[in-house]
Amino acid sequence: MRNMWTLYHKEMLESLRSYKLIWVPVVFIILGIMQPLTTYYMPEILKASGNVPPGMLEGYEMPGSAVVMAQALGQYGTIGMLILVLGVMNSLAGERSSGTVEMLMAKPVAPAAIVSAKWAAQLTVLVMALGLGAAGAAYYTEQLMGPLSWSNLAAAAGLYGLWLLCAVSLTLLFSAWLRGPAAAFLGLLAAAAMSLAHSLLPSQLGWTPASLTAMSAEMMTEGGGFAWGPVLFAGILIVACVAAASLLIRRNQLPE
Amino acid sequence: MPLLTVANLRKVYGGHTPVDGISFEIEAGKCVALLGPNGAGKTTTLRMLAGLLKPTSGQISFDGSPGGDYRKRIGYLPQSPAFYNWMSGQEYVVFAAKLCGISSKEAAGLAADVLEHVGLRDAGRRKIAGYSGGMKQRLGLAQALIHRPRLLLLDEPVSALDPIGRREVMELLRGIREETTVIFSTHVLHDAEEICDDIILMNQGLIAEHGALSRLRSQYSIPVIRLTTEREEKAQRWLEDLAHRSFVEQSEVSSGSATLNVKNVELARQIILQEAGSLDIPLLQFEAGSSTLEDLFMKVVGA
Repeated sequence: MRNMWTLYHKEMLESLRSYKLIWVPVVFIILGIMQPLTTYYMPEILKASGNVPPGMLEGYEMPGSAVVMAQALGQYGTIGMLILVLGVMNSLAGERSSGTVEMLMAKPVAPAAIVSAKWAAQLTVLVMALGLGAAGAAYYTEQLMGPLSWSNLAAAAGLYGLWLLCAVSLTLLFSAWLRGPAAAFLGLLAAAAMSLAHSLLPSQLGWTPASLTAMSAEMMTEGGGFAWGPVLFAGILIVACVAAASLLIRRNQLPE
Repeated sequence: MPLLTVANLRKVYGGHTPVDGISFEIEAGKCVALLGPNGAGKTTTLRMLAGLLKPTSGQISFDGSPGGDYRKRIGYLPQSPAFYNWMSGQEYVVFAAKLCGISSKEAAGLAADVLEHVGLRDAGRRKIAGYSGGMKQRLGLAQALIHRPRLLLLDEPVSALDPIGRREVMELLRGIREETTVIFSTHVLHDAEEICDDIILMNQGLIAEHGALSRLRSQYSIPVIRLTTEREEKAQRWLEDLAHRSFVEQSEVSSGSATLNVKNVELARQIILQEAGSLDIPLLQFEAGSSTLEDLFMKVVGA
């Protein structure tokens, strides 16, 4: 347990020294506040572009604050996920290819402690980025559109974060045995495949973690729709990823 | 009781067997060189001893107890140590200490001592990215020594260094071997002769020869006389003539020098020096002694 803390401390120090702990939250904040701003100023933006057919702007209706906030969270599903996955892809692959893991494993350290510490460090980055990003988006949404339910917002952001954590954990698993870019590709592919399968067969695959995004949006706009299935399966998926990565890193620790 | 007992250790990768059943014992306090050409299985053996590779078969007993996790009591330095370049040397050593279960407060004190010991006191605050090869190797020794291990495993600690770096690390090892048991691998015989008590000579995954350096040296020594003269015709004729004397068993004569394997060094020395004097041979060098382990090494490696 103390080893895990030491390793976690090292991971966080690396995130800080490489400025990852700063730029990932900054990107999330920018992504988050763009949504309420562009929605609010859309009529002006369209007017400024000049060639809008007359009568179109009369039909523009300002969406409600909850809808805008749900859309803002939806922004993190693409670029946000990409950034997180690119950030995690080298966490185990880099230690293996550079050979630093050899001296690490010669110390009395369990592979599970190494993987869990890395996972916990990624979780910290994710929570900081999503927390600050959602807070920024919520602030502008409240200022421009109207009041929000903060408890709904917290629940929605938590559900969205769980989905992002699934993608991060999958990438961490692939990173235990593949090279970094291949791990990122497979991590994103797995997340995309889950989303696609869920959108094709929503009723049969309602229990998959991919339905967390829809659940998050519903939670934001209507304040309900919570189901244990996807949350439970997301938890199982994450634990399985960390456990499998620990087993793999024990076997693939040495650069040949 | 030996500190380390290895019985019938084997490692198979697919169709290839880098270590093919080796057994040896290491007494506490010894310095042992694992000697052999590249590809002899030295690195694989050390990795198995360090607990990084699982043996295909065989047993490793540390301190009398077979199996078990003894990583806390050993220090390991890989062949090409890779560090986190964004850390400073001091941070890395403290990190290594904490992983061995040493508290932060104690780790800071130990790190300062060990960095001083390896001569990195002033460089400790700098980032590892800026270290030279010799400094990285010394930092590698520092991280292996920080928790005062009972056994130190070093994989080719000096092979990749320039002469100055090599000298620094050899001097350190000379001090370290007084305090702890050391196993280090090398393909340079000279390094082994310089600081070791015992050698284990490996070739193609097997132990070819094994024992105390002094014993091996006397067992494999052949009385030999080496002569060098000025390059004159008279001297050359004399050297060629010497090669056919009754006291010479085997000879090798080239222009101006001769290497003679003799039956009796005393007798041969007397005759050769007397003749050289009476015939007025312009001798440059005369050496009487035994052949080195180099010959044994070459014989085992089959070159």
